Amino acid sequence: MKNLGIVTGFTIKEMLRRKSFIFSTLVLLIIIVLAFNIPNIMSMFGTDSLDEKVLVIDPENLFDGQVEYLNNMELGYTFEITTENLSQEQIKQKVENDIDACIKFTKNDNTVKMEYIVESASMNFGSVPQTLIASFTNLYSNVQISKLNITPEEIAAIEPQFDVELIETDENAAKGNVAIMMIISLVLFYAIFFCAQQVSVSITTEKTSKIIETLVTSTDSKTIVLGKTLGIGIVGLVQIILMIVVAGISAKFCMDPELLNSIFDLSSITPKLVILTLVYFCFGYALYSLGFALTGSTVSKPEDVQYANGPINFIAVIGFYLAYFSMMNPSSNMNQISGIVPISSPFSMPLRIMMGTATNSEIVTSLIVLIVTTILLAVIAIKVYSSTILNTGARLSLKDAIKMAKENK
Amino acid sequence: MGLELKDVCKNFGTKEAVKHLNITIDKPGVYGLLGTNGAGKTTTIRMILGIIKKTSGTISWNGKEVKRENVNFGYMPEERGVYPKTKIYDQLMYFARLKGMKQKEANEAIDYWLKRLDMEEYRDMLAEKLSKGNQQKIQFIISVMNDPELIVLDEPFSGLDPVNTETLKKVMKELIKENKYIIMSSHQMASVEEFCTDLTILNRGTTVLQGNLAKIKNGYPSEKIEIITVENIDNIIKQAGLEIIENTDNHYLVKIKKEKQGEELFKKLAETNIRVIKFEFKKPTLNEIFIEKVGA
Repeated sequence: MKNLGIVTGFTIKEMLRRKSFIFSTLVLLIIIVLAFNIPNIMSMFGTDSLDEKVLVIDPENLFDGQVEYLNNMELGYTFEITTENLSQEQIKQKVENDIDACIKFTKNDNTVKMEYIVESASMNFGSVPQTLIASFTNLYSNVQISKLNITPEEIAAIEPQFDVELIETDENAAKGNVAIMMIISLVLFYAIFFCAQQVSVSITTEKTSKIIETLVTSTDSKTIVLGKTLGIGIVGLVQIILMIVVAGISAKFCMDPELLNSIFDLSSITPKLVILTLVYFCFGYALYSLGFALTGSTVSKPEDVQYANGPINFIAVIGFYLAYFSMMNPSSNMNQISGIVPISSPFSMPLRIMMGTATNSEIVTSLIVLIVTTILLAVIAIKVYSSTILNTGARLSLKDAIKMAKENK
Repeated sequence: MGLELKDVCKNFGTKEAVKHLNITIDKPGVYGLLGTNGAGKTTTIRMILGIIKKTSGTISWNGKEVKRENVNFGYMPEERGVYPKTKIYDQLMYFARLKGMKQKEANEAIDYWLKRLDMEEYRDMLAEKLSKGNQQKIQFIISVMNDPELIVLDEPFSGLDPVNTETLKKVMKELIKENKYIIMSSHQMASVEEFCTDLTILNRGTTVLQGNLAKIKNGYPSEKIEIITVENIDNIIKQAGLEIIENTDNHYLVKIKKEKQGEELFKKLAETNIRVIKFEFKKPTLNEIFIEKVGA
């Protein structure tokens, strides 16, 4: 095992030298910087805010010119008001050019007709936004009440002033910030899945370039498999840290702090969560990379790699969706299963820890199962790798590869 | 001191790739491993180096199992391979370090061997930019740069141009002088005859011939005579009742059944005034012995 450091170092160097790796890292970093700069980019193109522009046509002045007040309520809309009775053609032109939607009010006996005109209603799932209906109903009521000469005290007595509070009876109810959980699950999936895949690519490349025979007479198979896993894992971890650092810098310098706090509740990130997420990343990565080492050992041509990796890809996607299910249904019994099963626990447990739904005993059990499975898979992967390194012909099935490993005991 | 294979067998499923092989290499020099394609040469080499496991038998170096820990060996496989996207220096350093060399020692060895094989200019070049012959020389450097006691070369000269073949031959001669134990597998009989003192010929996993090359050849009777004269001697040969196999500008190859027939022809030529430049009883070549043994 004294050569482990040498193989790891060489693997890191090889990974960092790859143009595809440099390019994909740069693209990811650019996407992160751009994502945090969306408000700034939109303002560069003349859009002051992300609010939808709504033109309110009130030819009968039903709102007594009070619609302007809605602009102060942060409803996600910027209202322009006109009392001019625009024709259908004029409205159509506005909606198709500089306005997102148009609302036209007309009174017919005691009924106020509200026409919501948009270019296509598909973005609103074919309905009028409830926020707009509620806001205009409320505004209209206030305008009508004000005409009745009622005192502010009387108005206050009529209008409900509910003091709303959410109380959970379950002390273990899920907590956590959805945006951060989604980011954690996506980053973990990307880091574990895509980095681990590089192990099979690296193994197949050595077979294709025929260097493998020289390599296995220079050091043992165990060192090669573990060195590659470790080297690619370190590069993956550094890549993730780089992404987090760039995201942090972009958030600090490019985003409005209020907007940032409204999206990300950073108080939900505790040291325990960070440490355990790293632990789950390491073992999750080890588990999947050894799985990919196993499948990579069965092929000798780069074009066969994706096909050979199929079963592991499928398992990883199931693992990810189990974790996603945990996030969306924190009270489901499925969470305990996804937290224990090693294919999903690296994605699921950090989310459960953040939601506060994972007990300490569940964390310990989950880690033991994950570590034992990883060790078992390492033993199998190394055995299969040692037995199949000289297979330069057609792709072996996993069954055949394991049979070869048994014969070569 | 030396390498010993005792009753070594290798089965792949029901197929017996190597059957009861016994080889003893107890002195430095080049040992030849010959055979047709699929005879079991590469399998034998891979078993010696522990790349694949033997089904039965023992393989030892100085009484110990052949492992990286017990033997400092170098290996140039038949399947040439390099890291295509890696600089020559980087991959040489990688293998030197894996073979246990210190950084400084490895640097010196790399410099020495690149210079020795006229490869200095390629030091910082990506391997994929090198010709196949030069990539082969890189593989040769990997196999010898750690100064191994046992060197295994699988088809070392195949694919090399005459200049590079000559360079490699010179290096091999130096390694022989340094008392290295070299196992060479080759299809090029001329190279085997040039370097190997002892050999084993395998056919379908079975040993068909083994021993000292000179003794093996001496064990065969001479069946041809090579004669070079300044005049045409067709009539004299025919009068002696012998068959001319080849005649190119009075350079004859004559078939004999017994060496005595040759001696009588020599006497007849001596009785004439024809100037004889060469008269040699020819032993069968290794190529002929090989073809006879493997039944090609």
